Amino acid sequence: MSNAYSVYVTKRLLQSVVVILLAYVFTFIVVSILPGDPVTNVLRDPQNGFTEEQIREIIAAQGLDQPIPVQLWSSLSSFLTGDLGLSMRSSRPVATLIAEVLPSTLILASSALGVALVLAFAVAYGTQFLPKRFGQDLLRAFPSLFLSVPNFVIGLVLIHLFGFQLGLFRVIEPNSFWATFFAAIALGIPVSAQIAEVLIANLDNESRQEYATVARGRGLRRARLFAKHLLKPSSLPVVTVVALTIGELLGGSLITETVFGRTGVGSLVQRSVAMQDLPVLQAIVSLAAVVFVLINLIADLVYPLLDPRVKLVGGTRHRGATSTEPLQTLPGR
Amino acid sequence: MTKRSSLFSLSRRRMMIMTSTLATAALVAMAGFTPAQGADDPRNGGDIVFLIDSLGDTWIPNNSAISSFQGHIWGHVTDKLVYVDAKGEASPWIAESWEQNDDATEFTLHLKRGVTFSDGTLLDASAVVANLDIWYAGRTNEGINPIGLFPKTYDRAEAVDETTVKVFFTAPTLGFIPTLGYHGSILISPKTLEQPAAEQADLGKTSGSGPYVIDSWREGDFVKLVKRDDYNWGPEAVGHTGPAFLDSITYKLVSEQSLRVASVQAGQADVAYNASPQELQSLKEEGFTTATPRYLGFVNGWAINTQQAPYDDVKVRQALQAGIDRQEIIDTVYTPDWLMPQSLIQSNVPGVTDQSDLLAYDPEKAERLLDEAGWTRGPDGIRTKNGEQLTLTVHPNPYLATARSVDELIAQQLGRIGWKVDIRAYDVVTFGERVRFGRPGVPAYEVTRSFIDAGTVASILTSANNAENWFALDERDEKLNELRDSIASAGSHEVRDPLLDELQKYVLEQGYFIPRTQIVQRIYVQSPRLTGEVYNGVAYASYYTATLND
Repeated sequence: MSNAYSVYVTKRLLQSVVVILLAYVFTFIVVSILPGDPVTNVLRDPQNGFTEEQIREIIAAQGLDQPIPVQLWSSLSSFLTGDLGLSMRSSRPVATLIAEVLPSTLILASSALGVALVLAFAVAYGTQFLPKRFGQDLLRAFPSLFLSVPNFVIGLVLIHLFGFQLGLFRVIEPNSFWATFFAAIALGIPVSAQIAEVLIANLDNESRQEYATVARGRGLRRARLFAKHLLKPSSLPVVTVVALTIGELLGGSLITETVFGRTGVGSLVQRSVAMQDLPVLQAIVSLAAVVFVLINLIADLVYPLLDPRVKLVGGTRHRGATSTEPLQTLPGR
Repeated sequence: MTKRSSLFSLSRRRMMIMTSTLATAALVAMAGFTPAQGADDPRNGGDIVFLIDSLGDTWIPNNSAISSFQGHIWGHVTDKLVYVDAKGEASPWIAESWEQNDDATEFTLHLKRGVTFSDGTLLDASAVVANLDIWYAGRTNEGINPIGLFPKTYDRAEAVDETTVKVFFTAPTLGFIPTLGYHGSILISPKTLEQPAAEQADLGKTSGSGPYVIDSWREGDFVKLVKRDDYNWGPEAVGHTGPAFLDSITYKLVSEQSLRVASVQAGQADVAYNASPQELQSLKEEGFTTATPRYLGFVNGWAINTQQAPYDDVKVRQALQAGIDRQEIIDTVYTPDWLMPQSLIQSNVPGVTDQSDLLAYDPEKAERLLDEAGWTRGPDGIRTKNGEQLTLTVHPNPYLATARSVDELIAQQLGRIGWKVDIRAYDVVTFGERVRFGRPGVPAYEVTRSFIDAGTVASILTSANNAENWFALDERDEKLNELRDSIASAGSHEVRDPLLDELQKYVLEQGYFIPRTQIVQRIYVQSPRLTGEVYNGVAYASYYTATLND
């Protein structure tokens, strides 16, 4: 690769490190200045019966009586040496906690993304090529419908129907194939809405283009037109939407995990937020920052493969290229 | 076992290696033991699933044994020195017998022989001393807390010989023996206790001497227990001392209340914990077993802040006591499974006396008292005095799902006699932050508390010795101080019981404490196939004696 490209890569990597560090510091400050102190709250719960002296000892032992900058520095320096520390809540290593929950969430999120893509493309295909009387217009309403039904309602309906009525899966075995499948559907449906909307808009746009009219005039079959000519340019912005969707998949996984009784990153975040368990939150926010940075990087790298024109644009603007920029170039052409 | 592991396997390769190793080990172990044991008893066998709404925060024994969720698991994995039944009666368990001196400052415990922890360590006098020491002091610099409810008067314990322990206190401690059967006093292997906090927090590395051992677990997800075949030291009081009958118990976290109940209805699980009271009647009619055991402690009610006007006026407090229709609470919010309060403590606590007369619903009396106190009805029906409205701000306890409904009903009842009730509901963290006993702006603190022994009741009511000062009286009420001191120094129940009776009467007469209903904090819905469980003094279900029938 060219020299310019390696400069670009280096810059992007440095940027990423800064983003992750800032995310770390920001989380620390936000959680520290939040009102409420769950640790002392728990200790002060009269049911526990601790004396003030005991409470002071316990707080001091955890270093929670230190000024915030001191706490931040010790937390940050151990983070930089790769030590994620111990959870304040459970006293177990943060790395272990995350390693325990990560696989479940990755499986759920990737299956949900698969479901979302299949659904979005199916709906988008339908809006272009289903005969009018077979509900082409009805399909156009699907994305807004998908967005407006709450995630947990879909989940509960699926569980009652397929879990309890049909007995396809057991709530107590949330990682079985069918339980994962239906959880992925519950999570994938709202996500598919955004992808479908962008896809439909672009398909509409592309099919009005001259080349599509010409192709149709020459008698090219619809399915072939879709697959050969329309799909590729219309998918380009989908990459951006998918990259943005990852956040929603992780956020939505909290509700889906709760409803389906799965243990994942979502439920770990929920428990950690409730307890303001700083070390765990720090680790997860940093992890999320890494994931976002990586996904944006990948999205940027995928673009030129789908549309050669982007590479030209990107080549002159590599300093600040972000994944959203090529999307903005689209309406102009 | 293999089935469960594969169901939870995610990082496939590693899990598969682990699973097959475990499976092989299990097969070998089973081949070695099962034919010799139990097959002759038709009650043996079976696996149950218990759906729970939380598995709590940590598994460090000292820090977690007091939690209302983890208590279920500890109850099967560990034993206690003394068994305390649902009536609050203490009976022998690991301690076969005990003696105390006349002023209850020295106790001698005689232990059962041959008891072992699941890691092979002997449960002898030195193991008991190690446990008593860590219950009292914890290791706070490492994040291992003391057990808050353990008597602060503890001085030291000595192992006299292998099965005899002497325990010394700096002041009379009548509550010591019941404490041993309670909440946090779970016996843990000294080997586990020696480990640093981070190791103790790994439930899989914890050894108790109970009828079940940890098979596998995952934080925030599930805990699977399997029975210990050589267990032979159960408490006599439950009528069985040998190994448990059920092969395994799996506690699975399902945070959605409706899903827990629906899973049991669909036959996918055997017990659902914490269902809504309103559902219980219809579940019973469907043939499910429901249980609403009460724990030993205070009834659900309000501790009144006597420093905040108008609750500094005894007549206003007495009007509040008479203005609440407790029967209507049970009829409307709860079911007949809930009981009327008879005192400020639950009616199964040893030492409780029936004070129902003081708690009768009498709106006329309440109105008369308010008139006498100078609170007269305004044109909108709300009573006023010197331009101030008669208001009561209440904060429903966020830990009790029905607290808000009860508050709303009471607001209606009090509204009829001219009281304005404001309900301010907070989440758990905010509640912990803002709502405390005697805090300005908190005229009534909702109590839901279990305790070890009625003797401790007196010591939390005032400010003496850093106590909780429930009614913000500090040391102002001399009669209460007197009762507190004489109860604390009583060396025997004969001396103490009449004093306790007087204390209950006095606190209720003064309107310091306003009982609402006896508290049920643990609600069980159970498949009819499962029978024989036992509820102890803290209302935890033990499946040690339970069997599955077809």
